[in-house]
Amino acid sequence: MPKITVDGASYEVAEGRTILQALDDQGVLMNGVDIPHYCWHPKLSIDGSCRLCQVEIEGIPKLQIACNTPVRDGMVIHTRNERVEKAREGVMELLLINHPLDCPICDKAGECKLQDYAFEYGVPHARTREPRRAGKKRVDLGPTIVFDQERCILCRRCVRFCREVPGTGELSVFSRGDQSVIETFPGEPLDNDYSMNVADICPVGALTTKDFRFKIRVWFLEDVPGICTGCAKGCNVHLGVANNRVYRYVPRRNDAVNGTWICDEGRLSYARIGADDRIAGHEVRQPDGRALPVSIDVALEEAAERLRGVIDRKGAGAVGILASPHATNEDLFVARRLLEALGSSQAGVAVRTGRSDALLIQPEKAANAEGCRRLGFGPAEALLERARGGAVAALLVLGHDALATQGPELLETLRGLDVVLLADSHRSELERVAQVVFATRVVAEKHGTLTNHAGRVQRVVPAVEPSFDAHAEGEIMWRLGRALGLPGFDGAWDLQAVSKALAETVPAFAGIDLASVPPDGVPRADR
Amino acid sequence: MQKAPFITSYLTEHTADDAFATLAGYRAHGGYEAARRALTQMSPEQVVELLKDAGLQGRGGAGFSTGMKWSFMPKDSDKPKYLVCNADESEPGSFKDRLLLERAPHQMLEGILIGAFATGADKTFVYVRGEYAHPANVLQRALDECYAAGIFGANCLGTDLRHDVVVTRGAGAYICGEETGLLESLEGKKGQPRKKPPFPAQFGAFGMPTTVNNVETFSHVPHVVAKGADWFRGFGTEKSPGTTIFGVSGHVKRPGLYELPLGTRLDEIVFEHAGGPPDGRKVKGVIPGGMSMPILPASQLDVPMANEFLRERKTMLGTGGVMVMHDATCMVRVGCIITYFFRDESCGQCTQCREGTGWLHKIMQRIERGAGSPADLDLLLDVASKMEGQTICAFADAAAWPVQGLLRHFREDFEEHVKQGKCPFPESFEL
Ligand SMILES: Cc1cc2nc3c(=O)[nH]c(=O)nc-3n(C[C@H](O)[C@H](O)[C@H](O)COP(=O)(O)O)c2cc1C
Ligand code: SF4
Ligand code: SF4
Ligand code: SF4
Ligand code: FES
Repeated sequence: MPKITVDGASYEVAEGRTILQALDDQGVLMNGVDIPHYCWHPKLSIDGSCRLCQVEIEGIPKLQIACNTPVRDGMVIHTRNERVEKAREGVMELLLINHPLDCPICDKAGECKLQDYAFEYGVPHARTREPRRAGKKRVDLGPTIVFDQERCILCRRCVRFCREVPGTGELSVFSRGDQSVIETFPGEPLDNDYSMNVADICPVGALTTKDFRFKIRVWFLEDVPGICTGCAKGCNVHLGVANNRVYRYVPRRNDAVNGTWICDEGRLSYARIGADDRIAGHEVRQPDGRALPVSIDVALEEAAERLRGVIDRKGAGAVGILASPHATNEDLFVARRLLEALGSSQAGVAVRTGRSDALLIQPEKAANAEGCRRLGFGPAEALLERARGGAVAALLVLGHDALATQGPELLETLRGLDVVLLADSHRSELERVAQVVFATRVVAEKHGTLTNHAGRVQRVVPAVEPSFDAHAEGEIMWRLGRALGLPGFDGAWDLQAVSKALAETVPAFAGIDLASVPPDGVPRADR
Repeated sequence: MQKAPFITSYLTEHTADDAFATLAGYRAHGGYEAARRALTQMSPEQVVELLKDAGLQGRGGAGFSTGMKWSFMPKDSDKPKYLVCNADESEPGSFKDRLLLERAPHQMLEGILIGAFATGADKTFVYVRGEYAHPANVLQRALDECYAAGIFGANCLGTDLRHDVVVTRGAGAYICGEETGLLESLEGKKGQPRKKPPFPAQFGAFGMPTTVNNVETFSHVPHVVAKGADWFRGFGTEKSPGTTIFGVSGHVKRPGLYELPLGTRLDEIVFEHAGGPPDGRKVKGVIPGGMSMPILPASQLDVPMANEFLRERKTMLGTGGVMVMHDATCMVRVGCIITYFFRDESCGQCTQCREGTGWLHKIMQRIERGAGSPADLDLLLDVASKMEGQTICAFADAAAWPVQGLLRHFREDFEEHVKQGKCPFPESFEL
């Protein structure tokens, strides 16, 4: 392995990498070793055009671009001396001579690399007296993205992204020299499943998403690490949070899952968190059919009462759980323990499926479908078949995915049961057939782990607090077990203890508890 | 177009003769005998060594040793290998390759055949400047003759060497003459130079090992093979052997082509051969090697035209395009023209080139208008220094150097503009 020295520090790096790649592999790029760069992106082909990443290499007379220069054993690199700084200053000045400097009205301000680098490496005053190059300010590139020609620094990241990632190639540089401009071909808008990533990788405010534009200044946002729940991929995201509200998802790099990308559908799914159709409190259905808002304790008492009735009449084995693939592993583990305590085997899960591709998008449209399987939840069809056959008299339904997979027939089946309890986050027809409804937290509102399609266990933490009383499914089931006086369900709800028990008792989760899952998750290939 | 230079040597000896462009006419002067000798009596290594001994340097502008370049072609590669003949000739002030294409196409083709043998190349692409329709047609006709005569194709000159030549027409941009810009254009893409590494010898046309040489470079090759390294070194200087074809343009009595040994003095070319400036005028400055090369003032024309001497005067031979300007010429207007050209032709990938070329042009125009300030002179130099030596290809250097040359030798022209608030050269050419 070649050994290189950068500003006096040595690194053992992989053969065949360029300087920037090698430093990125080490995790030190812009995190100890600052080599500013615009056109280079870890997940795109090397362009070598912005010329900002120039460094001095001993023995080579000219400065070299770090993004495209392969490492050699014994290479001695300087990133901070006067020559390098002068070259950077030159690039920064030239990038700024035609820049509109409209930061006050630019949505990228605060996370703009031109702003950042100009501050860090630029010259403080302008020496141009000529008018700046005028360009189009609000070009509608397609359904998701707006383009500002004047702000573009022509790094071509967006062009390479469209060619290399979705492979759709909508964007190109048209014309040449200082007339160069990013455009789409006539009648071919920027429209693909991943289009909004171009706004993330655009170093400046040239590409912005229609969804996030002008919603909030980014410096008000806190980036909370999380997982997209749009499908079984479990893409790592940052939830942009302010005022207890999620304003956006942006990709959080995880080379083992999503690299630096997320799909548009997943990105926009943040809107479900604070949506108007959230179930905003617990309810008990009155004999006249109306829903009565109640406290969690009243809802639990009512639910326990009804379950006891079924257990008395038909036995505990007639109580089943239709689980949710949106619940965490910890939630599902409690469901499993509840069934075990009851001595029931009536369990299943419904997973909505849809379009998939070879890049990220998985057919299963939930974040924890694999976790369900690993915790022993089989297909919902079998459970519902048994319910129709009379073997199930009470069903605790988590989430409403079964509505999508089973259709209205599900409602028929549920109406035929003695007791239906619902724990869900969003309104659906299911509420009408449930006697008790518990408001649950969504993934962005709780602690837990999720298992993605490939078996990687990933951690989530609360990014926002619901403005109403809502609880994790696990907690609801725990408290229900306690209300029923089931063995093992004593004491207060303790997620840490549940997590420990999961790690200790379920082989598929051996050694994985909340505290031990690193930010990029733990791979678990075996089922 | 001239049929032959005013002064000829081995390259252009027969170009006045229309028949020389035909296979029969070329053969009448021993055509393809050098190739036959190389293919039948020499090894590829011997050819490469011969070229190294002769010291032939590329005539496309950079002056790199041709023998060395050929030796970089991988020998053990199982991929097809390509030669490219760069006939894009678009450097302003350069018009020598056109003569060689139109009047001596077989001479160049013979050089290509020898190059193919020496490098093991399977195919040559001749990339002809888009506007050169006639030269391309002449070349195609010559090539058709070669195929009919079995010079190219499956058994070149009856040997088991297989080599094909394809004539392609350029896409009409200066940057398509830069070798990797050419390769992109050849592949049907936008003419934008490639970052290096990888270098063309590893990853060239269509990703295959490729060597690019200029029209004139190939044209010298048969002579070196036929007559030997010592003979070749009988022309030119010790470090720059051989002749080259100087294209003299601008304010001289006899503009045109002159084939002369490298190392011929610039003042000899301008005054003796090209007849000097029009009567009543004096020479003010001369660009020695095409527009990208820094200008020299009248006082510095006593320089031998070879890189080892020109470099001492901070300029280079380039393509040998000698551009002469007389004393009514406004050097700021010259600067405007040059910076406009580079602004217009920059491919726009590199920050310094895309933004710097435009800025230089704007500052030049401002000074020419009389709106410049004293600080603008150093600003020009500062912008030029920011463009130099930092980009994907040498275009940005080629845009920066002439500006530096103008300010080095004609700073007073610039200062007068600023002082008077207008152009002090009413008799200069119009912009
Ligand atoms: C901007 C630019 C334009 C060029 N244009 C030409 C050209 O028109 N013809 C040419 O032969 N070389 C041109 N060159 C030089 C080529 O890149 C290359 O060095 C040359 O073709 C190599 O051939 P040689 O070794 O035989 O000189 C150009 C270089 C640059 C930087
Ligand atoms: S729009 Fe953004 S990403 Fe695309 S080239 Fe311009 S600056 Fe780069
Ligand atoms: S691929 Fe799946 S997990 Fe990733 S962003 Fe899209 S929906 Fe979310
Ligand atoms: S130096 Fe200029 S012409 Fe050459 S690649 Fe860069 S932008 Fe293009
Ligand atoms: S990051 Fe290296 S040239 Fe742009």
